[in-house]
Amino acid sequence: MRILLDKFSKAFGAVSVIEDMTLEIGDGEMLALLGPSGCGKSTTLFAICGIHKVSGGRILFGDRDVTSLPPQERNVGVVFQSYALYPHMTVRENIAFPLRIAGKSSVEVARQVDEMAQLVHIEPLLDRRPAELSGGQQQRVALARALVRRPHVLLLDEPLANLDAKLRLEMRSEIRRIQLETGITAVLVTHDQVEAMSMCDRIAIMDAGRIVQIATPTEMYNDPHTAFVAGFLGNPPIAFLRGVVSGDAIVVPQSDVRLPKPNGARNLAEGTRVSVGIRPENFGPAGDVPVRGRISFVETQGRENLYDLMLADGSVLRSIQPVRSDIAVGDEVEWSVASDRIFMFDDKGERI
Amino acid sequence: MDASRDKTGLPPASGGAGRAPARRRLGLLDSSRGLGVLLLLPALVLVILFFLMPVVLTGVFAFTNMSTATGISGGAHQVSPGSLRVLTERYGMGELAERLGQPTYLVDERGLAALEETGIAPGIVASLRRGHLDESFASRREFERAIRALPDRPDTRTVKRISDAFSRSLANARFTDAGALVAAAEAIDPDLTPEEKDALASATYTGWSWTTDNFRRLTSSRDTTRVFFNTLFFVAMTLVFFNIGYAMFLAIATHYMPERPAGIFRIVWFLPRISPVVIYVLLWKWVAWDTGFLNAVLSDFGVRPRNWMLDSATQAWFFVIMINGFVGASMGMLIFASAIKAIPETHFHAASVDGAYRWQQVRHIILPQLKWPILFVTCYQTLSLLTSIEQTLLATDGGPGGATEVWSLWIYHTALNNYAGNLQYGYGAAMALVLVVIGIVLSLIYLRLFNYNALITRPRIEL
Ligand SMILES: Nc1ncnc2c1ncn2[C@@H]1O[C@H](COP(=O)(O)OP(=O)(O)OP(=O)(O)O)[C@@H](O)[C@H]1O
Ligand SMILES: [Mg+2]
Repeated sequence: MRILLDKFSKAFGAVSVIEDMTLEIGDGEMLALLGPSGCGKSTTLFAICGIHKVSGGRILFGDRDVTSLPPQERNVGVVFQSYALYPHMTVRENIAFPLRIAGKSSVEVARQVDEMAQLVHIEPLLDRRPAELSGGQQQRVALARALVRRPHVLLLDEPLANLDAKLRLEMRSEIRRIQLETGITAVLVTHDQVEAMSMCDRIAIMDAGRIVQIATPTEMYNDPHTAFVAGFLGNPPIAFLRGVVSGDAIVVPQSDVRLPKPNGARNLAEGTRVSVGIRPENFGPAGDVPVRGRISFVETQGRENLYDLMLADGSVLRSIQPVRSDIAVGDEVEWSVASDRIFMFDDKGERI
Repeated sequence: MDASRDKTGLPPASGGAGRAPARRRLGLLDSSRGLGVLLLLPALVLVILFFLMPVVLTGVFAFTNMSTATGISGGAHQVSPGSLRVLTERYGMGELAERLGQPTYLVDERGLAALEETGIAPGIVASLRRGHLDESFASRREFERAIRALPDRPDTRTVKRISDAFSRSLANARFTDAGALVAAAEAIDPDLTPEEKDALASATYTGWSWTTDNFRRLTSSRDTTRVFFNTLFFVAMTLVFFNIGYAMFLAIATHYMPERPAGIFRIVWFLPRISPVVIYVLLWKWVAWDTGFLNAVLSDFGVRPRNWMLDSATQAWFFVIMINGFVGASMGMLIFASAIKAIPETHFHAASVDGAYRWQQVRHIILPQLKWPILFVTCYQTLSLLTSIEQTLLATDGGPGGATEVWSLWIYHTALNNYAGNLQYGYGAAMALVLVVIGIVLSLIYLRLFNYNALITRPRIEL
């Protein structure tokens, strides 16, 4: 089912958290709401499921305006960050809860609970209590409880935040599998960009209550509209250099770096300040613009090494390369930037 | 620590032998165990004095017949009409009682010596000794006839003086111990059997003694049943409707209220608890009595003024339960409210999106998670209601006509304050002991009922 947030605003008392947000989520789509802590992701989610009343605007499920419906009547499934499993009920009772409240017959309830348990692979755990489950198992139970009513919409609020790295990887594909299998429209709130990129059809990046950019993960990675978006996506993160327009090049003051002016910057006046974003994978031994500097930090990541290169002006570039042992901290090196892969932003952070 | 232990191990220098034990004593205080015991000592003394002693003393008093009449120290032996009745009724020694109760006249050397002291004519004394020594008379008339028959022919006043000197009646005589009593009785009736002596000693004893009669009396008294059911009714009603029911209602209602009004409401409902009992109950009395608030309002509607609190048993119960209930409800409200607060907010959010409306949340989320607080409040309040006395005492004092007499009040009326004036400490203590036993038994039943063990077993956490 399509979800449309139409000029949605939310304020807590005098504090305005979200203003005039418009966001459309297609039927069967999984959308990630990505953004730093406190930017209003949970607030948006709670408005969609009806826990928070909106201060302005409309919320539509399909063509139906649900803005003034209480959460009980919206038919949404929510997986909370803390799972919010009822501690006094067994797993079976937890999953059955939405059905029992809806007044389904016990035969029907049992059938659907079993079906759900199968879907999320927790059949052997049905008679345990939440306190007797591991984090990943609890998460599956929460997912089952959210899905058992066949909701129009599935909302997930940082569902993987409490899991260890391995389990997180496992659950990522698990949730995506279930979402695809059920074809449900889903919104995933996260501040982990890897999670957003690997699980979702589209990503909406939020900053301070506004949506900065919506795009597919690849588009977003390759074509960030702002420095904020470029900085948010990518691990290890992008590095920025401060440059000045000088003739047909961008120079980084107090260093010998000269980058060719990209197309969008052609009519920038001489002396305009810009910032240049260079992703670690686009800086290394191969490239066309040489940059000299001193290695200030080396981080081993197993298959690859991450090098921090300090330039003469004190700014730092990152480079990710296959593991090599010929470089150590303090070495003077000259690597190159792939100048066709760099992003240039004006001093407001907008892409040039 | 180590160093000092090493030092004590050195061969004692001169004079060292005398110091060593002192150091060892200090060593005890050095260890945390010794110090702990020492620090706990004052607390232990207080616990024994103020917590254990009252219970133990109640247990002890319960097996005595102490009362105002017997006093609480030892007593004496007194042949009163009452004790003679006891002798007749309880020991079936009516004949002996009659004999001891009657005035008796015995002509003996003691009496003769006393008579000589009074300066009576020596001829009379001599002729009495000669004619009647060791003779006894069962009545004054008989003895005085014998005196008048003496050769000296004493006048009537002298006859009275003589007969008084030989009066040996036990009636109203007081003896400090059983030996003296028995000796005096033997003077009247030399052929007392050992059983008769024992019976006499115990029947005339005025002090307290050990007995299980209190419990026999409790089980057979019709008052016991009445007061027992009064208490049961009082505790059950107050507990269910106020201490749990009303408290739960307030806790849930304030949970769903915005923070500020909820806080104000909690404080308002807490007022009865923190206001002085006497003033609080007085306000209720003022509401209920003949010229009080209720009547002032109702008289406008032509209702005859009356004391609403004491007008009928039903009304008295209504007020007693309300007065106690409003005081007791605040505790449950606080405990339930904080227990509800401990339920994470997201559980209510989750329940809402799962389709549960408020009353379903109460039924499925709140109440099941309040098992333990409910158990606690039930347990605690049952015990405190069983022993609660001041509100009821001040409000109805058990009235009208004992309709609201509950167990604790009954104890008070029996042992500490009654109209007859004979305070029966022993009987009261027996009642109190019953209350203690009921309290313990109830606690055990509650713990089992709520499956205490299941509540405290640790979850098997698997990670
Ligand atoms: N009940 C509330 N009253 C007042 N302010 C609130 C309330 N709930 C949230 N806020 C504010 O709204 C803003 C957005 O909160 P929100 O919970 O949506 O952040 P978030 O993006 O989910 O962050 P996180 O990633 O840390 O969960 C925050 O600045 C927060 O302080
Ligand atoms: Mg959040």
